[in-house]
Amino acid sequence: MSATRICLFVTAALGLTACVGRRDIPPPSPPLTSASPVPEPAATTVAPATPQPAPGVVPRSSVTTPAPQAAIKVAPPVVRTPVPIARSPQPAAPPAASLTLDLNTLKKQLKETKAIGLFSKIALKNQVDDLLDDFRKYYQGKVKIDMTELRQSYNLLMMKVLSLLQDEDQKLAAAIVSSREAIWDFLADPKKFATLEI
Amino acid sequence: MNKRTVVLTQSLFLAAFFAVRSFAADEEALKKDLTAVIALQGLPCGQVVAVKTEAENDYAVSCKDENKYRVYLNAAGRVVVEKRK
Repeated sequence: MSATRICLFVTAALGLTACVGRRDIPPPSPPLTSASPVPEPAATTVAPATPQPAPGVVPRSSVTTPAPQAAIKVAPPVVRTPVPIARSPQPAAPPAASLTLDLNTLKKQLKETKAIGLFSKIALKNQVDDLLDDFRKYYQGKVKIDMTELRQSYNLLMMKVLSLLQDEDQKLAAAIVSSREAIWDFLADPKKFATLEI
Repeated sequence: MNKRTVVLTQSLFLAAFFAVRSFAADEEALKKDLTAVIALQGLPCGQVVAVKTEAENDYAVSCKDENKYRVYLNAAGRVVVEKRK
């Protein structure tokens, strides 16, 4: 075996190793909370700017260049810009609504995420179960803790989950942050909590 | 040297190379997981630097701050972290 061949072989092995060793970098998640509100103000500011016939003077003070360009691309070159502008707020609403997770979805996604190791998942599940037991006992009047303490425990647990997720599964972390209050509302309502099946 | 021997040597070298690398990656993942478990219990550790497997789902752990723990899964399915001297 020639020295050249050995060199080629080692180079290939090192190249492959570099590929194998590379971790899955999660795609840069779009700013979940701020994404939807942005188009709305753009659309509203564009509305008065475009239909103006511009009688020779240049009164264009708006800096919102991307929105008019998109509107021009979609609409025919006729001056009917208000039609696409009126539609724009409608598609913005569903993504914001879909960001909130219910408990079962959260449970499923936490099970599936690779950002948390197996032992950590079990430890987290233990702590979630403990918190749910505390809620159960609280609603049954079996324990002398108040809602403030439960809220503190809930916040602490959320912080733990987020600290485990935030570096490697930012999408799920963001979804949890946006669902945080909704989950709390669910837990803090005895009637809703009674329907819980976890 | 026979051509077959060369190919076999190459294959063995590659297999060993990736096996060692995979083992190291697994151990790093386990250390990270155990670090997270200890932190979840609110115990001081900093970072797990050494892990010794005592049994299945039972580990003796040494931390960077020189604390030592036993981390295991008990019969009730709970992760238990015990401090060791």
